[in-house]
Amino acid sequence: MNIAVDFLLYAVAVPIVAGIVCLIMPEKLKILTKFLALLVTLASLAASVRMLLLKPLYWPPVPVPALIVDNLSALAGLGISFFALIVTVYSFGYIEKNNGRYFGYLLMTLGSALGAVLANNLILLVAFWGFLAVLLYLLVTIRPTAQASASAKKALIIVGGTDALMIFGIGLLWKISGTFAMEGTRVPLNGVLPYAAFLCVLIASFAKAGAVPFHSWLPDVAQDGPASVTAYLPASLDKLLGIYLLARISLNLFIMNGISNSILLIVGAFTIVFAVAIALVQHDFKRLLGYHAVSQVGYMILGIGTANPIGIAGGLFHMLNNALYKSCLFLGAGAVEKTIGTSDLSDLGGLSKYMPITFISFLVASLAISGIPPLNGFFSKWMIYQGIIESGSGKNPFWIVWLIAAMFGSALTIASFIKLLHAVFLGRASERASRAEEAGVSMTLPMVILAATCILFGIFAFSVPVSLLIAPVIGKSISYIGTWSPDMATALIAAAVLLGILVYLLVAPRKARVVSSFVGGENPERFDRVAGTEFYNTIREVKAMGSLYSKEESRSFDIYDLSGKITALFTRYLQKLTNGVLPTYIVWGLIGMVVMFIVFFIRG
Amino acid sequence: MSPNLMIPYLVIVPLAAAFLIIIFGKMTRPAGAIIASIASALSFTVSLMLSFSIVKYGVLIYKVGGWMPPAGIPMIVDSYSALILLIANFIAALVTLYSVNYVKIYTDTWKYFSLLMLMMAGVNGVAVSGDIFNMFVYLEIASLATYALVAFGNEAEALEASFKYAVMSSVASTFMLIGIAFLYNYTSTLNMAYIGKFIEGNRTAKIMSFVSVLFLAGFGLKAALAPFHAWLPDAYTKSPAPIPAISSGVLIKVLGVYALTRLFFNVFGMTKPVSYILIFFAVVSMLGGGILAFGQSNIRRLLGYSSVSQIGYIILGFAIGTPLAVMGSLFHIFNHSVAKSLLFMGAGSIEKTMRTQDIKKISGVISKMPVTGYTSLIGALSICGIPPFGGFWSKLIIIFACIQAGYFGLAFIAAFVSILTLAYYFKAYAPMLFGAKESLSGALKNNRRQFLTDMPMIILAVVSAGSMLFLAPGIMNILMRLATVVIVNGTAYVSVILGSLK
Amino acid sequence: MSIYILCLILFSVGLYCVLRKRNLIKIIIGIGIMEYAANLFFILIGYRQEGRAPIYAHDQVINNMVDPLPQAVVLTSIVLGLALMLLLVAISIRIYEKYRTFDITKINRLKG
Repeated sequence: MNIAVDFLLYAVAVPIVAGIVCLIMPEKLKILTKFLALLVTLASLAASVRMLLLKPLYWPPVPVPALIVDNLSALAGLGISFFALIVTVYSFGYIEKNNGRYFGYLLMTLGSALGAVLANNLILLVAFWGFLAVLLYLLVTIRPTAQASASAKKALIIVGGTDALMIFGIGLLWKISGTFAMEGTRVPLNGVLPYAAFLCVLIASFAKAGAVPFHSWLPDVAQDGPASVTAYLPASLDKLLGIYLLARISLNLFIMNGISNSILLIVGAFTIVFAVAIALVQHDFKRLLGYHAVSQVGYMILGIGTANPIGIAGGLFHMLNNALYKSCLFLGAGAVEKTIGTSDLSDLGGLSKYMPITFISFLVASLAISGIPPLNGFFSKWMIYQGIIESGSGKNPFWIVWLIAAMFGSALTIASFIKLLHAVFLGRASERASRAEEAGVSMTLPMVILAATCILFGIFAFSVPVSLLIAPVIGKSISYIGTWSPDMATALIAAAVLLGILVYLLVAPRKARVVSSFVGGENPERFDRVAGTEFYNTIREVKAMGSLYSKEESRSFDIYDLSGKITALFTRYLQKLTNGVLPTYIVWGLIGMVVMFIVFFIRG
Repeated sequence: MSPNLMIPYLVIVPLAAAFLIIIFGKMTRPAGAIIASIASALSFTVSLMLSFSIVKYGVLIYKVGGWMPPAGIPMIVDSYSALILLIANFIAALVTLYSVNYVKIYTDTWKYFSLLMLMMAGVNGVAVSGDIFNMFVYLEIASLATYALVAFGNEAEALEASFKYAVMSSVASTFMLIGIAFLYNYTSTLNMAYIGKFIEGNRTAKIMSFVSVLFLAGFGLKAALAPFHAWLPDAYTKSPAPIPAISSGVLIKVLGVYALTRLFFNVFGMTKPVSYILIFFAVVSMLGGGILAFGQSNIRRLLGYSSVSQIGYIILGFAIGTPLAVMGSLFHIFNHSVAKSLLFMGAGSIEKTMRTQDIKKISGVISKMPVTGYTSLIGALSICGIPPFGGFWSKLIIIFACIQAGYFGLAFIAAFVSILTLAYYFKAYAPMLFGAKESLSGALKNNRRQFLTDMPMIILAVVSAGSMLFLAPGIMNILMRLATVVIVNGTAYVSVILGSLK
Repeated sequence: MSIYILCLILFSVGLYCVLRKRNLIKIIIGIGIMEYAANLFFILIGYRQEGRAPIYAHDQVINNMVDPLPQAVVLTSIVLGLALMLLLVAISIRIYEKYRTFDITKINRLKG
């Protein structure tokens, strides 16, 4: 059955050690760090593939091993190493200074993430989880600007704080089940204690993945951190880890019932709609992408919450797909930002002329995230819809709500990305944008690979990803409602596109005269250019949405700010008590002694 | 030489050093620093050797002057004392080395070192004392030295803080003296083992409750347990930078926590009311210290309130009393001493370079002073409970111990305070360490790197980062297990000592 | 019995003085009174009926001695108290130089 192989340990330990080596590499040898990183990530990918093929594995060869590879871990591990490789290649062109520290943290993150998904011991999981939080902080502050520091601090406090909650939850779990080993522990949710443990670990996974209301760090980090870091951590790794934990909780550690599934469904649906609505009016390129990342997490949670095989499979597949197209989008945003120097949407436009490869891969990724067939996003969303319908047919009357929420979110996603594409790539170029040039090979290659994978996963969905990666996790067989044959659909869609192009070429007028508009000698750009963002201003004018937006901007939904304000209240009160006068302090002590006397009197 | 002859050297060496420094310090300038460094290194070596001996022998007793207890005063070292001595002398040696460069800003540095040596003599004395009044005397010696050291720089706030500290602390000491008087009246002996034997039958007598209150108040103040904590943030604000480092790392642990637990576990016996009181005050410390630290803009005050909060964790572990909880507390004592001293030393260096203690005005420490910056980051991460640094493991153990004992609410509060700790540390340290490197008008342009300032910080950072290795089988692990056994076995201490005394 | 109560009343007087008096010097005096009361209490505990001073003499028949241990303890304690007083007075002199006042409620620059 199980094969004990040492390479599991190496898969976790080598990246961490290599990361430390990169950190302490002397200045002159900095070029070596790039090669070391490339080497290690390649090796890690190879190891993950091997794990996938050889599973199940465990290490060390004792009855309760520390590291285990089962189907879920193999899936997550493959994703983690794949994205590490992609981001490493991208970073060659993107990151110029601080190489040692950057690649060092990157490698250590890879090692810790692998450790977290391979861990069989809950304490080991928590240890790697917390370490990842601080690595996120260090990576975001690679560029020492004030906003990066503030966003990173927020991320650390939210993710690291929920880490403490997770410790509490794991302690409760230990008390219930009596062991720290994850394999073979199944806890029924009957009573306050199991629910409390479930909620605590759930909150930790929500915060890592970025679900509402613990999402507020994600848009900030997306905006202020370097794009490669954003593609690496919040977009792909954190989702992989967060949903991995969620899957562990729902599939392995706890036996779910109606209430816990409903929690997942509610949070998932709310996240989808809320985040996408906010994303519609964002001005900053990366921040907009960040809110979309939050929204996509909702789909994953929704999928797992449906509690039937196809829904869960859909959720997991969506996790993988989301990582693919999200990182592609962020890498594209990074390329744009690097050559133009700004990520404010009003300043961009018309870049398709200057950065064609970026444009094409970005287009593919946008179509994928919107759920356009035959790409991978459509497939996983379709599986999730089926899951909702399955679970609803019979018992749960709310399934209409979830379905509508998911579809509505999808619609808004399309709207948002059309706006994005227009604002950045289409339309007329602004002054700054006309100075753009296509990004280098190291940056375009990863994007192309990711876009191609999106297409492949979509067309060959049945044969490759689902059957190899996802289905083994579920264990039961997945039955689809309705018929969808990707090959047929792709052929039909390709035929339709060709037909459309043919019609355009034949029917569209050939001769047209292009003149510049008459503006009386003024600067034409002021009148000619309509930035993509302005088309959506009408949304703000709808009363309900308008108030929502103003609240979000004033950060009243931000759990981090709220708790900060509440704590500050208590602090002010206590500080007034500490007035600096000596007798006050002695009186406190005497009050303490009186309390002690009372306790002794009552209980003694 | 038989190992128990090493015990008095723990007190003799610092005491002799103190007086030698007074003699030679006036003659040659560097005499104070040299003698102090040698003395602290020697006492660390002695404590290290004692730890190894304890593992072999269990209990070591030295009768001062050869007089037989209960008439004579014994110096007793068991595994708990050995552990505390090891931690205390380790930190003290490093702080002394750090001080060598720091006190160059004062004249008459020999006075500083002499007082520091007196403090260490007192601390070591408390840890080895087997007699309750002897413990009190050493406690007073250490405290008096600290009052003078806090006021050393002669700045207005330092003097004010020292006065308040002295008054509050002497009130507490007087309470303790009355407590000792009542205890002597009841048991007719001052030797801790004999006291334990005497009250074995009647632990819950009314007089014992009264005496317990007095001792809890007295030692509670030394340990900076809320509501007796008010002297701590003040005393740390304007004193010379090594003083908060050694006070927070050594004094409040040995004089406060060690003495408290020694008395209440081994001599009096941990009863339910004492346990509840300690839990209550521990929770107040954790929450109060954390909430107050949130609003601080002075880096030293923030670290001071953080100490109050962490002492709450330690006392919580002891109050719960299960073996796992006690182990967690002991490990947290170690982690907190190392990390806090590191942070205070770092704060001292930052202060010297940036010329201010205000958090809002400092930024870019990591780029300007990399050694200080990175070691302070490691120290902060350790206290916040971020893996893989030491504080994570000890907090983990304490939270699990609370859950194991059934105190779910306490475990939740402990986890919540952990979040709070992370919040206020990073709220303060993130802009300080990582902010952009601005040029402050008052900041030193070139930061001179000094070996004796950097090395203690690096050593402490390495120890803090690797402290989870101390949980692995090794000398520390054995020592901690033995210490846990000593504490958990409570009043079995009495029979062990009495057996060894014969 | 009443003598112990009186001694503890003396202690409370000292405590009251430390709490309620504003002048630094009065606070120091209060601490002195408290220490005095504590030492006195210790000595009173050592009293044995019909006891004489605990000095060993060859040529006298000794029936009963008062307890010598508290006397040793109190000697040490008085010395500690002396050191404390010296330190407190020295600090208050310096405080006066810096703050120009002896009023404890005005000496509160460190707060919050």
